[in-house]
Amino acid sequence: MQAQQIMTRKFLATTETETMGMALERMHEHRLHMLPVLAEDGTVLGVVTMFSILMRIVPNYIVTGDLESVSYAPDLGLMRRHYGELIEAPITSVTDPEPLLVKPDESLLSVAAALLAHGRHEHALVVDEQHVLLGVISAGDILANLNPPPAEAAGA
Amino acid sequence: MPEAAAHTTQMIMGLPDSWIAVTILLAVYGLIMVERFNRAVLSLLGAGIMVLGGVITQQQAIAGIDFNTIGLLTGMMVIVAVSQKTGMFQYVAIRSAKVVKASPLGILIMLAVVTAVFSAFLDNVTTVLLIAPVTLLITDALGVHPYPYLFSQILASNIGGTATLIGDPPNIMIGSKAHLSFTDFIVQLAPIIPLILVVSLVCIWWLFGRDLAATDEAKALVMQFDEAEAIKDVPLLKKSLIVLFAVITGFTVSHALHLEPATIAMFGAAVLLLLQTWGRPLLDKDHAYEGIMAEVEWTTIFFFVGLFVVVTGVEHTGVISLLAHKTLQLTGGDMTATSSAILWVSALASSFVDNIPFVATMIPLIQNMAPTFGGHAMLEPLWWALALGACLGGNGTLIGASANLVVAGFAQRAGYPISFMQFIKHAFVMMLISVTIAQIYLYLRFL
Repeated sequence: MQAQQIMTRKFLATTETETMGMALERMHEHRLHMLPVLAEDGTVLGVVTMFSILMRIVPNYIVTGDLESVSYAPDLGLMRRHYGELIEAPITSVTDPEPLLVKPDESLLSVAAALLAHGRHEHALVVDEQHVLLGVISAGDILANLNPPPAEAAGA
Repeated sequence: MPEAAAHTTQMIMGLPDSWIAVTILLAVYGLIMVERFNRAVLSLLGAGIMVLGGVITQQQAIAGIDFNTIGLLTGMMVIVAVSQKTGMFQYVAIRSAKVVKASPLGILIMLAVVTAVFSAFLDNVTTVLLIAPVTLLITDALGVHPYPYLFSQILASNIGGTATLIGDPPNIMIGSKAHLSFTDFIVQLAPIIPLILVVSLVCIWWLFGRDLAATDEAKALVMQFDEAEAIKDVPLLKKSLIVLFAVITGFTVSHALHLEPATIAMFGAAVLLLLQTWGRPLLDKDHAYEGIMAEVEWTTIFFFVGLFVVVTGVEHTGVISLLAHKTLQLTGGDMTATSSAILWVSALASSFVDNIPFVATMIPLIQNMAPTFGGHAMLEPLWWALALGACLGGNGTLIGASANLVVAGFAQRAGYPISFMQFIKHAFVMMLISVTIAQIYLYLRFL
């Protein structure tokens, strides 16, 4: 089965002119974990995920492992400060510029392998030669296509 | 120079042994500066070639290794490795930030003083490695740029380390070879350190003071830090503090008891290792012990071993006594001129090269000056000049001391890189000011 056969063609996206706050609001409203960021011509610039936003909110030096523990720091206060600074920032400041891009004719096995190798997102963006976004495939979409299991499928 | 004349030149493969020894020393120095090879490996290779090449025998090589320095360093590293797990560094850093009501300038001063005091008694690298990350948490909450804070801590660490026998490796070496006690360092060297720190902090305030402003909201956030949460292991904290206190007390009385500092440090380390896992099963004890041993910086220890052998080789060929003779010719055998020369050459050299090999080479050079000044006891001003120059000189550039590099590495990882030129722009002049203060102190106190 090819990526284009199961990809979601109706998807929400954001453009580089939006702020992080606007994008996050839309993600909350539609219960999305990911928004593709598109240029005016529809080409993919990156993706915004809850994870990529969190990465900008949690300071780098906490992630590097130099602090054995941060249990003594005021947790919400520090994150709120960075969140407040980002809310009006352009969406590009929290964009992961290296989303997982796949071609429409790629097999699902190859998309699944690419998702695991990439490791940061649960979604692959299906794009054409010019990197124009055609659809989105999630890990869940792939698993959904494995039902029913092989034994039942053979018996049917 | 009687010693130099008495030395009969030995020929190895058609070359005088002094040539071979000096070539090895310079090659080790040069390759360390290139930073392409591990410095411990280089010094051990140099030591090996010194013996294989026939400059010295293995017995002479081993006799040249200062086991007092090695023992003191290793013992203190073990004590630090155990006590850093208690969270006491973080506790003190946060407490000091809250004591000054989270004022940005107050925090800068307090954290610099805390860094200087910890560095005076413990390893500089460990101190900054533990204080710098907490500093970033605090400056982040405060909403100020961390550079002035990290900059002041680098300076404070090297300045504080100058104060005591155990503060900095050069002092450990000098104390050991010149038979200067912990108390000698406290009485003769430490009094000038607070002044140097204060002057440095005034310079930092003058340079960065206008950038240090925070909103009341940000200050309130700093006051929300809970230092009690930083203490992870109260029983271990008590044990560590008792042993640290006992070891430092031991250092102050060791001279009177005719004990070397290495004995005190190693004994303290063994006691702390015993107490750390008291009452736990043997398997736990072994596991904890191996963890601590892995944290001892064996690279530094082996670097010292190799270096002592290399310097012993060079010393054996008479080159160092010749250099001492030439230095005394230049300074006319005058104590003021000689100590000033040692202070400034040490400071400038230590700004750019590792001060450990530099001091290892300077020690026999100064010892060779004893006849000119009327015996070893008369050399004391020269030892203080070497200690002040080598330790304070480390502040001149970002590569001047290990603590500088460690902070720079951390700042880079944290997303606030410190460039070589940015650092030198402020630090070099401040280093020159601190060495000038040291020069005046040496003159008034000892000359």
